[in-house]
Amino acid sequence: MNSIFNDPGFWHRLQFGFTLVYHYLFPQLTMGLAWFLVYWKWRALRTGDEKYNQAVRFWAKIFGLNFAVGVVTGIPMEFQFGTNWSDFSRFAGGVIGQTLAMEGMFAFFLESAFVGALIWGEKRLGPRGHFAAALAVALGGWFSGYFILVTNAFMQHPVGYQIDAGGSLGIASMSAYLLNPWAFVQFAHNQMAAVVTGSFVVAAMGAFYALRGLHPVQARLYLRAGTLVGLIASLLVAFPTGDQQAKMVGNHQPITLAAMEGKFVGGSEASVALIGQPNVAAQRLDNPIEVPGALSFLAYGHFGSFVHGLNDFPKDAWPDNLELLYYSFHIMITLGTLFIVLMGFATLQNWRGRLESSTLLLWILMLAFPFPYIANTLGWMTAELGRQPWLIYGLFHTRDGYSKAVSNGDTIFTLIGFTGLYFVIGLLFLGLTGREIAKGPEQEPAAGIGAREAATV
Amino acid sequence: MIAIWYAVVSFMLIIYVVLDGRNFGTGMLHWFVAKTPEERRQVIAAIGPLWSWHEVWLVGFGGTLVAIFPRLMASAFAGYYLALFLILWCLILRGISIEVGGHINDRLWQTYWDFIFVFSNFLLAILFGAAAGNVARGVPLDDRGNFSMAFFTDFNVRGNVGLLDWYTVSIAILAVVILAAHGATYLTLKTEGAVHDRCEKCAKYLWIAAIPLLLIVLIESRIVRPDLPGRSLSNPFLWLGLAVIVVSIITLVSGLITRHELRAFLGSNFVIGGLLATGAAGIFPVMLHSTLAPENSMTAYAAAAGPRSLHLAAIWWPMAFALAVFYFVFISRRYAGKVSVQRDTQGFY
Repeated sequence: MNSIFNDPGFWHRLQFGFTLVYHYLFPQLTMGLAWFLVYWKWRALRTGDEKYNQAVRFWAKIFGLNFAVGVVTGIPMEFQFGTNWSDFSRFAGGVIGQTLAMEGMFAFFLESAFVGALIWGEKRLGPRGHFAAALAVALGGWFSGYFILVTNAFMQHPVGYQIDAGGSLGIASMSAYLLNPWAFVQFAHNQMAAVVTGSFVVAAMGAFYALRGLHPVQARLYLRAGTLVGLIASLLVAFPTGDQQAKMVGNHQPITLAAMEGKFVGGSEASVALIGQPNVAAQRLDNPIEVPGALSFLAYGHFGSFVHGLNDFPKDAWPDNLELLYYSFHIMITLGTLFIVLMGFATLQNWRGRLESSTLLLWILMLAFPFPYIANTLGWMTAELGRQPWLIYGLFHTRDGYSKAVSNGDTIFTLIGFTGLYFVIGLLFLGLTGREIAKGPEQEPAAGIGAREAATV
Repeated sequence: MIAIWYAVVSFMLIIYVVLDGRNFGTGMLHWFVAKTPEERRQVIAAIGPLWSWHEVWLVGFGGTLVAIFPRLMASAFAGYYLALFLILWCLILRGISIEVGGHINDRLWQTYWDFIFVFSNFLLAILFGAAAGNVARGVPLDDRGNFSMAFFTDFNVRGNVGLLDWYTVSIAILAVVILAAHGATYLTLKTEGAVHDRCEKCAKYLWIAAIPLLLIVLIESRIVRPDLPGRSLSNPFLWLGLAVIVVSIITLVSGLITRHELRAFLGSNFVIGGLLATGAAGIFPVMLHSTLAPENSMTAYAAAAGPRSLHLAAIWWPMAFALAVFYFVFISRRYAGKVSVQRDTQGFY
């Protein structure tokens, strides 16, 4: 009876992982999309061109749907620190609670106060006020991201803490904690990846309308903005932010780097595997196609640098889901490279004036939008699986963090509940988003007095 | 320091209950005060733009609780595991029903989401009421600071208790009535026409019904926790809470009688806030009372984070709160005024 299914830690991890991956499908779009709204609102202010306002009205509706699902799926995340990871909260709550509270108080209050104004307040606020609302929502979302990433960065690379009386953690230096170098790099990488998701979705919508022959002015606007921003963001995700992130992992979590690369034997002139399947029992990579010396160069800056292999470390220090970690990382890298190629080509065609006449390219752009979601998810899986077996790297094991008082029966019950509820939410979200897309951007601005704007009687 | 933080965290929870309580109340009354589809959209529109902003206060409270009282958060959240997830799921359903109900103008679609809306709000009021009862009664906290509680055991208030027993159920009923009264008072202020008239009547009956229920709960509390109020009689916040209750009841009653709707609603907010503040001051410094053995009880002092963490939080928290008050003023001004049946074109109708 000693299988993984009897291990409460497995179920707690599965539930947290599932609810987190699902939740993050929505904020990654809103964080990316928010800056498109700010940009278009600003263009509308500068040029007075109505097409920009039309674009903002349309995308604000899509934004609103994503925001609502993001809110309702986000609240369980905060609560699960207590319900499912109570021993972790007991140990580290004095530190991570600070940023969780700051996220709520500084960022989330700001974002949710102005999101209604962004979606329904155009007439009431006037052009400048509406622009300010878009900016407030975008800033709120990014502040939120920063506080959450500081929390995660502490788990990856703990700094600024002290051990208080009683053995739990407290803050020693707030500035060291908030300005964790890991958080900077991770924030830059993660936010650029969110912009990639936003730009792919915007470009896909443009491609869809262009292929349908609908809303030509709007389609051109989305295609141009989506592909150009998509190219810039895809480049920034890889370099410098992704490159810095990998160096950070190489310097502070060498076991993780070896596991991500499926490198069992260490050495200088370490190669990068383009393709290959890790075989943990035989401790090798099957069917490898490798670029010699590339890993040494990417991780430490010289082709001759020594890179540790997994065999240099005791087995109980290895990440406990090595295969999944390896594939997450490699598929993310592959997708990221393809994003640069696709958006680079689309930008080139756009510059030559051939984007909207190239049916094949439009089809690819339309169908490509799910892949940044996959890449973002895999990036987070790389970060979180790579951190194992630690919950706080080097300080606190994952197996010590879950709630000992909660039975497996309770955890499986809530996991089933979330699965069902999130399935229904997913269907509703897709259905309602589909309706907005079908209605299209070229509608009359909401006329009359809305209930949200109800006049004083 | 820890006593101040206890007051701050209680204050955040009170703000949440007062703000979101109007939505729970509105949700519970939805079917009873709004008869036609248009009236039902009107009721949703009265809370529609603001529910997510109110729910954010729960996030602010949760985050502050982890930062300031990590050991309490750890013990209580794991102990109330199933109840908390039920609350979370109801909050999800409540939010979804508000957002998607108005998206499709179809009678069946809206009837379905109206049902989810009413159902989830009833369950939320019951669960939050029972949760308050559990805080007052105590939980089976063991000597290692853990507990795990079933929904019900033998419905008794001592020893190995469950979430629901005769005491917590009666507080849940009180919560349903008071929050419904709060919602009715809010809708009276916020609507016009037939809904307004029904709510005005409803509010009076519900507030009158709350009086005997409150007295019953007070007597029960005396039996369940004979050790209270005890030394908290010297706690100034207890007397402040009582003073707030007295003044706000006068405000509420005079508002209801003179049909001064804003005054009645303010009174309603402060009645609920005063009751919760009195309760919070009454149990201080014990945050989790143990029904197994009094020495297992967790006080605010034992639950708090280290002094340096508390000190650092005291620097940024007031700034964040000041900003929140600023947004609050912005929002209240923006959404002031009544919601009518006729004049609406946006998503909530």
